[in-house]
Amino acid sequence: MKMTKIYEGSHQWIMFGRDENKPSNIIDSNQYAVRTANKCLLMDPGGSELFAPMMAAILHHAPVEQITDLFASHQDPDVISSLGLWDQALSNAKLHAPALWEGFIRHYLGCESIEYVPIPDNGGTIKLENIELQLIPAHYLHSSANFHVYDPQAKILMSGDVGSALEPAGTPMFVENFDSHIEKMRYFHQRWMPSNHAKRAWIERVRNLDIDILAPQHGRIFKGDDVKHFLDWFDALQVGVAV
Amino acid sequence: MNIQTKSQFVAVASITSELSAVMVVAKEISLAAANAKAIAFRAGDKAKGFQPITDFINELAKETIELVTSINVYALSLYQLTVNEYRKTIAYNKFELIAELSKDAAHAHSMEEPLEKAKLTMENCQRQFKRDVKQLLDQLEAVMHHARAARVIAANSRIEASQAGEYLQSLQAVAESVDKAAHTIHDNVQRCRIALSLYRNN
Ligand SMILES: [Fe+2]
Ligand SMILES: [Fe+2]
Repeated sequence: MKMTKIYEGSHQWIMFGRDENKPSNIIDSNQYAVRTANKCLLMDPGGSELFAPMMAAILHHAPVEQITDLFASHQDPDVISSLGLWDQALSNAKLHAPALWEGFIRHYLGCESIEYVPIPDNGGTIKLENIELQLIPAHYLHSSANFHVYDPQAKILMSGDVGSALEPAGTPMFVENFDSHIEKMRYFHQRWMPSNHAKRAWIERVRNLDIDILAPQHGRIFKGDDVKHFLDWFDALQVGVAV
Repeated sequence: MNIQTKSQFVAVASITSELSAVMVVAKEISLAAANAKAIAFRAGDKAKGFQPITDFINELAKETIELVTSINVYALSLYQLTVNEYRKTIAYNKFELIAELSKDAAHAHSMEEPLEKAKLTMENCQRQFKRDVKQLLDQLEAVMHHARAARVIAANSRIEASQAGEYLQSLQAVAESVDKAAHTIHDNVQRCRIALSLYRNN
């Protein structure tokens, strides 16, 4: 598992991904952690197969008892099917996940010791010691109840499946050439994102945020001007093409 | 899933299916008993010896049904225990893998406590499973005992039936069906016990 620090200030953002030992028939995903002095939040901690390498990687940054918060942007297995294993490792943690998906996510057998904190449709916040992260609604992108995490201090938006690209193993962490990256994202967004209307609402909301880094759950991270490039490109794209 | 857990799942699931077959047969016996009672009543004095036997058969069938009902509840909890044990074992194995993967990590030691806890929980599950299997085996033994008793009664019924004149054939048929049913119960329960006995002592 590769680890990349994408923000370092009063707290840290760490990206985990490109796991070398991942079976090749499972899609690669990015996991993110926010680390404060005594706490650690994991965002979209990943599928069951990823649990052991993820935990081993986090132990470089935080002891297990300080992993106090998990966040699931939506219900997908690549996002949170590891929940049942986290549940047995963490003794005092919360899972922040869409309220709408609660009855479904509990099928991952993960809420014996972990507390499910339902996120209402209009969003909310996660407090981690002295920082406050905003939960930005991203419904129907692609899941019917879907949230992204915005950190106003680090100016990072963790954008779940939005901005994702499915790329071969060993792909670099950052988008280096936006134009050549477009083709890697096009079909994914056209096919997975169901609604132009939902896309419009999200773009309007996100354009109001000050974002340095857009961090998706698959593929590469967007930095600086590429964030704006992405929003413009996505704004113009027709999605929901399967019907 | 390893072979051990897989066969444990199969063993536990097979109990439920064998037991539902036992249930059907026990109900057949109870029906045969009601039938026999009617015939014996009509036969009057000729089937005098047969009448108490029908009550006895009926009683036996009722007890078997009750026993199987309670065993079924037990088998279901055994199934849940198997699921739980499977889950705990997976977690424990993953935690061991983490220990190996995180050797050079600054906070590797923090997983020692969860690892130890996972091991204890897993072992507890295994112990409880063995305990429950033993109790289930005892209950199954009780059902077998009933089935053996039913066969003895069936043999007696046959003798009594021979005194029943024109009712001989219909009473003999009753005895026959009780015997057959008891035999089926005996076989089914025996299969359950063989499937389970693997897990009693290992
Ligand atoms: Fe998804
Ligand atoms: Fe995804």
